[in-house]
Amino acid sequence: MAYMSMGEAHRRITDYLNRFSDAVSSQDVVSLKQLLSFSSNSPSLLSLADSLNVFQDANRLIKQSDNYSPFADITVPLFRSLQHYRTGNLVDAYLAFEKSANAFIQEFRNWESAWALEALYVIAYEIRVLAERADRELASNGKSPEKLKAAGSFLMKVFGVLAGKGSKRVGALYLTCQLFKIYFKLGTVHLCRSVIRSIETARIFDFEEFPKRDKVTYMYYTGRLEVFNENFPAADQKLSYALINCNPQSEANIRMILKYLIPVKLSIGILPKDWLLEKYNLVEYSNIVQALRRGDLRLLRHALEEHEDQFLRSGVYLVLEKLELQVYQRLFKKIYIIQKQKDPSKAHQMKLDVIVKALKWLEMDMDVDELIKLAFSLDE
Amino acid sequence: MSAKEVRASDVRPLPVLEETLNYLLSLLDSTEHPFEVIHDFVFDRTRSVRQDLIMQNIVNDKAINMFEKIVKFHVISHHKLRSSCSSSSISPLHYLNLEQLTKALTSLYNLYEANWSSKPIHEKEAEFRSFYVLLHLDSNGQPVGESLSLWFRHVPSPIIKSKEMWFARQALRYFQMGNYRRFLSTVAAEASYLQYCIIEPYIDEVRSLALCCIHNCYYKLHPYPLGHLSKVLMMEESDVELFCNAYGLQTCIDELGNKLLPTKQTTFCRPKGGLQNYSFLGFQQLGRQIEL
Repeated sequence: MAYMSMGEAHRRITDYLNRFSDAVSSQDVVSLKQLLSFSSNSPSLLSLADSLNVFQDANRLIKQSDNYSPFADITVPLFRSLQHYRTGNLVDAYLAFEKSANAFIQEFRNWESAWALEALYVIAYEIRVLAERADRELASNGKSPEKLKAAGSFLMKVFGVLAGKGSKRVGALYLTCQLFKIYFKLGTVHLCRSVIRSIETARIFDFEEFPKRDKVTYMYYTGRLEVFNENFPAADQKLSYALINCNPQSEANIRMILKYLIPVKLSIGILPKDWLLEKYNLVEYSNIVQALRRGDLRLLRHALEEHEDQFLRSGVYLVLEKLELQVYQRLFKKIYIIQKQKDPSKAHQMKLDVIVKALKWLEMDMDVDELIKLAFSLDE
Repeated sequence: MSAKEVRASDVRPLPVLEETLNYLLSLLDSTEHPFEVIHDFVFDRTRSVRQDLIMQNIVNDKAINMFEKIVKFHVISHHKLRSSCSSSSISPLHYLNLEQLTKALTSLYNLYEANWSSKPIHEKEAEFRSFYVLLHLDSNGQPVGESLSLWFRHVPSPIIKSKEMWFARQALRYFQMGNYRRFLSTVAAEASYLQYCIIEPYIDEVRSLALCCIHNCYYKLHPYPLGHLSKVLMMEESDVELFCNAYGLQTCIDELGNKLLPTKQTTFCRPKGGLQNYSFLGFQQLGRQIEL
């Protein structure tokens, strides 16, 4: 790091503080956003951090100036957070940022219009990301990670601020999505229910008013919840909405949606084309699709085993395992077609021992009793 | 009943709780009173032991040991209370026991997770984790807690690969496919006593399904031998006849003296009221596994 003089440090700090107060007074959210986005690691924020280390008396500077003191509650902890962030002390960085964010929310409430909404989004995002990193730091020191949980509580509070009748309410869906990400990460997925209820049944919100990007993210997460609960029609509807409305350039997002949509579609008998799996690198499903096409149970079991950990972690394993019945249906249909070709008059009577033989040939050991049950259920 | 009076209002230290629990569980062997009475007494007091442990935030090995014993008590009660009530509706005692079983199990899982860094695997963890799967075989039933797909996400890999969990997942797979043959034979071959106790209510359901299928699908000209049916249903042959009769079906005997079940009888009907308790082939071996 090049040597920075006291004067230079002082200049950079006042520069930042000026930009902050100018942004607020002219309601310039684009400038304000940049001043808060730690994780962007912008050169100006990094050099601000360095400046704070050189010129150690920023607090006095803030409190003594009429321009800067109105925002002292925001900027003082923000500076502290930035310094901790720069030295890699994430737990303290989180705590200070939360304090600053809290003060920001109080100001935000007082601003009549929703001009600062995007700055609020940045704060929500930073809170979550800082908390995740803080928890990693805690875990690596053998302590119990609880900052992400705290971030969740904080963001719920922010959600409450937005859930009113004014123009700020369109921000609620972004907050909801940040909360979803937190709950999914923590595994406390049941907490999603109360936010969902607020969004979907409270009369304040009109879903169509929300920005498209937020609607896509929302449908992605609620679609995944439906997959966990095996509500396939609802899962299909939500994940399909997300897919259709997703930005076509954003391949990573499309891949994430498809990862959950494909098992749902398979369950209702719709098979994806091979090029789709290849294009979005979802080859873990290739053998499963193949098994369904061929009626090959061995291949299905093999595919499930090969990717067992992955499927269990994403929560689609049980959905895929249930495809067994469909594989049998396909197999029986093929046997039926072959038999019909050999002897059209007897086609409607499939002999059980013929099937047992066919299955044995496929190394699928099944006795007549198991077959009976299969036949019984396929009849329906 | 001789009672070491246990006041639920006291918060007792760990050694006292351990002693109390051991005493309570020793009462379960008593033959002086009907099981429901003993169960009731032990039920209330083990619940207060659990509360005392949770209130004091005791999360060590000893707590795990105690919770495992308490879960065991509830699992065995789940089985014994079922045999003692004859109506088809679940008795309130049985339902409340299931409720506490689920709560104790959830606390136990939290304890396993809290101890993860100090001691990754506990000896019985795989078996006790498998109980959750077995309690959720019927995905259409009342979901008690997280859905299985969600629950599996945070089960550690070594547990998933354990034989106890493998059994539970196979049971789940066969149950959901309706593969009665493999379901019943796998339970007979692989289930531990405690796993059997939990899965028992589903066994009746699967046997019903089996009888239904066999009766409706088999060729009318080939009556089904009872000996074979006994192996499929994992039931003593003498019970098989009673079971068929409960469904309005008659058995017959052929020239060689073999008992048979003619299929596609028109008198087939579902039994009104509950089924009695039938034998389970291989139960005697399971019975030897109990130790509290």
